[in-house]
Parts: sequence; structure tokens; C-alpha cells
Amino acid sequence: MATMVAIACIALTACKKEEFKNPECDIISAWVQGDEYAACFFQPSQMHIDDIPSTTTELVFTVRPASSHRLPVFFTVSEGATVSPASGSVQDFSAGPVTYTVTSEDDAYSRRYTVYMRPPEAPVTISFEHVGTAVQGSSRYHVFCEINANGDTNRIWASGNQGYAITQSNATPEMFPTRSVNDGYVGKGVCLTTKDAGPMGHLMNKPIAAGNLFIGEFNINAVLTNALKSTVFGMPVNKVPTRVEGYYKYMPGAEFTNAQMQVDPNRTDEANIYAVFFRNQDDEGNPVKLYGDNVMTSPCVVMKAQVASLPATAEWTRFEMNFEGGAVDLQLLANYGYSMTLVFSSSKGGDAFEGAIGSMLYIDEVHVTYEN
Amino acid sequence: MKKSLFYIASILVAAAMPSVVMGGILGDNFGLSLRAGYSIGGTSPMGLPPTISSIDAFRLTPSFCVGADASYSTGSCWGIAAGLHLENKAMNTDVTVRSYHMEMNQGATHISGVFTGHVHQEVTEWMLTLPLQATYSVGDKLTLRAGPYVSLLVKKEFKGVASDGYLREGDPTGPRITIGDTPETEAPYEFSDDMNRWQFGVGIGLDWQVFGPLGVTADLNWGLTPVFPKDFKTVEQPLYPVYGTLGARYTF
Repeated sequence: MATMVAIACIALTACKKEEFKNPECDIISAWVQGDEYAACFFQPSQMHIDDIPSTTTELVFTVRPASSHRLPVFFTVSEGATVSPASGSVQDFSAGPVTYTVTSEDDAYSRRYTVYMRPPEAPVTISFEHVGTAVQGSSRYHVFCEINANGDTNRIWASGNQGYAITQSNATPEMFPTRSVNDGYVGKGVCLTTKDAGPMGHLMNKPIAAGNLFIGEFNINAVLTNALKSTVFGMPVNKVPTRVEGYYKYMPGAEFTNAQMQVDPNRTDEANIYAVFFRNQDDEGNPVKLYGDNVMTSPCVVMKAQVASLPATAEWTRFEMNFEGGAVDLQLLANYGYSMTLVFSSSKGGDAFEGAIGSMLYIDEVHVTYEN
Repeated sequence: MKKSLFYIASILVAAAMPSVVMGGILGDNFGLSLRAGYSIGGTSPMGLPPTISSIDAFRLTPSFCVGADASYSTGSCWGIAAGLHLENKAMNTDVTVRSYHMEMNQGATHISGVFTGHVHQEVTEWMLTLPLQATYSVGDKLTLRAGPYVSLLVKKEFKGVASDGYLREGDPTGPRITIGDTPETEAPYEFSDDMNRWQFGVGIGLDWQVFGPLGVTADLNWGLTPVFPKDFKTVEQPLYPVYGTLGARYTF
């Protein structure tokens, strides 16, 4: 009855209801379809890119280096949106990436996506010299990338900065948990700082934000609901990593706190540096992604490396770690059936929102050695 | 709250006292009555915008109205009436929205953008209202009324929770953030302090003398000023209070 009254009241005021037109214009998934194109890929799972984060505008398909570069890419886009060039049209990728524009149903918004067809290039020497600035809302933060042999930008690095940005207004890069610093071991370096996540973070039982940098992507979608799912680890590789070394400085923050922000005077914050090498598809050939909640425990993990201890030091100090673990299928390896991630965090318990606000981990001049 | 209501009731009684005295001086052309009523309505946009896709629930709220009215008749059918009412224009609704512009806040932290999902909205507006109406008598029993009113809000609350959906930060191309449906993952907001202190509007009504001094009243009050200032852009459309009241009156 009450509902009837309400509807009657509002119906009185609603002379004519306009039709809703969707303002969103995302690519939600992308794929290459057709048996004749399967040979361009190492394995069928590489013909699909699913669960594309809403902040991603560069899509990279892993293709064989010498394969045909004329391919039809299909897209699922936001309801009612249109894409140009058309979904499924054959495009020439031989001269580089192709840019697609998605326009919303209401015609008010559009987004540009760049689609690459190239094999991934695993990092060897990482100097953190290539830094860009991302703008999100009224805030700006640093993003890191590598440069491929052909000069292409290779966006392998992700951080939690995107998540931190949603709770900030007018924040500058220096205020973020993950940032570039000019006083690296050589040239620029990275500084990771554990920060207070602000009132919204406290409300949602995520009171601190550890500074982190990792190979993979950050999917902001789950940042408030299931934060560990927002870190999506790894990039496909075709060689086996054996060893990681580099330089660090670490200054733990004064007060160690738990997820309820209770101080534990008996604990001191620790930094964390680790790497994981894992199968990126299951036995049925379905793509596998590792997240914050299973990157160390998934049955797909083949090898792990972790720096045993990172004593506090204000001087640049060398660290190293060796991969240890199981056997590698060489055929699968050649097909980019394995992925690797490398993770740096200013608080080891950051994934459980434990750590000390103010803990700072500096990283620079990292080198990854692979088996010949 | 109870204390402030007591104060307000005292003010109403005090305001009515001179009228009683005046009534004695002015004689038969002057009337005085007390009223109590219950209101149903909404604080809503004029015309349901396409971004609100459905109204899922509308709960009754303690929207009471009490007050005193004085009237003066010219001797013909026409007259004027003025009153002082204490009333609550409250609302408690659940709606489903699509790409609806909104802002979530907690302390100094704000996240603004467009939200798709479920919104639970609660509005409370306790106010002192002064109506000034022209009256027209139809026979002995029935009086029709129409005229403007002004309200001073003494308690204002506009708060709610967005849940079970997603926010696009900034605009519909911004980062898409899932909003959950548990206390830790849903997104609360409150804009009580941003509401206008004053409201203006027009009302129509009728009084029907049923039995001796007892009668019934019916009113429809239509807000002409939105509940938020013009420069408050957080809520997508201007919201206007539109409430109907049914009540009883006692005429002295």
C-alpha cells in the first residue's frame, strides 16, 4: 500500500520518463576468433583477454613473432556502446598497435584502446628510470614501465596507487605509497611507503596501505570488497628465471599496528621481496591468474624466491634471492605457458593490513638472471 | 531531540495564546483551531530521471504535523488563514539507480562519481512552518484554502547507503569499483549539513467541519525551493519536498 502511494506520488510528478542511455564505454573482453588464426598464437588460451580492468587501455595479445599480422579482434563492450574499427574486422598489426575507439550509447563519452600483437619481453635489468604520471580524479601518481628492445613501452609494473588514489583529493605523486625518487642507487629509484589509508580505509577495516610494486596488473574493481583480488600477478615468460638481485634501503615505521589499528609494541615492521614462477593455464588449457590471496599457495606455482631477511638500513645494501621449486615443461615454456612476477612491499603483512605507518623500502638496479 | 520537541511545542502554544486573546477582541469573524495530522510524500526530483530505474521500497516514517491556525473571514465567502505548524517531512526509500551521480563520504574523505546499484535513502526534516492562505467557504462546513508557506528546518538529516553495485570514480569512464552489501564494503554518505535551512512552497487544503468543533483537514504542500542549495552538485537533480497531510482539527 505504502509503495502504491509512493509510486502514485512520484508518478504525479513524472510526466514523461526519459529512456536511459548507458554512458559507459569499456572494452570488457577481447579475443581473436577463427581456426585460421590459431597458428598465430602459441596456445589457444592466448587468443582471449578476459576481465579487462576498467583502468586498462592497452591490450597485449601474445603472438608468435613471425606470425601473420592481419587479425580480426572481437570485443565485448559496455551495453549499447559501439566500437570503431568494428569488432571482428580484420586489421593490420604489422606496423604496430591498432587503436580502437569505443563510444557510449548516450554518445557523451568515448575511450581509446590500443591493441598490441607481440610476444612479451621479460625484464632483465630493471633500473626504474622510466616513470610516467597517471592522473586519477584530482590526484596524480607515478607509474613505472620498461622499454622493449624495439623501443615500445612495456607496462609490466603495477602498484596499489590506483586504490590509494580513490581516497585522496589533490594528492601529488610524493604523497603516494609507491613513487619514483631521484636519489636511487643509480639514477632514479623506487620508494615504497606504508601509509594511513584515511577514514574510508579505517571504516572498511583497511586502515593502512603498504607501498608495493609488482609485475602484473592492479584491478581496482575489488579494492573495497576483496582487496586481495585487486593484485593480479605475473606476465608470460618463455625462459626460466633463476636469480634476482638488486639494492635496497629499509627504514621500518615506529609503531606496528594490526588490521584494527591496535599497536603491538613487540613487533617491528619488515619489508618483503619475493618472486613467483607459475603455470598460467590449467590442465584443460584455461587461463589461470594468481591474486594476492593465492600467489604463494596456488597449485600452479612452480618455483618461488624470497629474500630471507632485509635488515633495516639507511644505506643502499645488496639483496639477492634464488628461485627454488619444481620441474618445468620445456614445451609449455616455449609457448609462454608460464608467468613470472616480482613483488616489492614496504610491509610484509600489508596484504592483511598489518604494518607500521611510515615504513619505507627503497629499491633500485634489480637484475633478473634466466637459465640459458 | 525530545527536549527540542518540547521546546518547539511550547513555542507553538505560546504563539497561539495572543491569537486567543485577539479572537476575543475581533469577535465572530475570527477563528482559531488546533490541528494534528500525518503526512505521506517524498523529497524527490520533479519527474523521475532515467538514472533512477526503479523504486523498490517506500517505508512509512513518523511524519507528523501539529499546529495552531488563526483565520479571519471578511463576512463573505472569502477570508485569510495563517498558522504555525511543527511538522516532519521524512522519507525512507530504497531505489535502484544506473549511472546516478553521487558522492560517498566518510570524515574528510570523498569518493564522487556515478553509481549503479542499490541506494537506501533516509530524509528527516523537522520544521516550523508558517502557512499564509486565502480561504473560501462552501456552505457552513467546508472551507477551501490555498497559499504559500515558509518553513524553518530545526532538524535536518539526509543520509543513506549505496550498496550492491559499482561506482565509476569521476565520470562513467573512470575506475570501476565494486561496492558490496556488507557493512564493511558498502558505501555510506551523509549530506545533512548541506541542506537548506529554509524552505518555501505552496499548499492547497480543505477543512471539513464534521461534528461540532471537530473536523478533518487535508493538505497538499508542494515545495518550490529544492532541499539543497543550487551550488550543491553532489545529488544529481534538485529535490523538492512534496507531501500530503490528513488530519483532525478542533475549532474554538
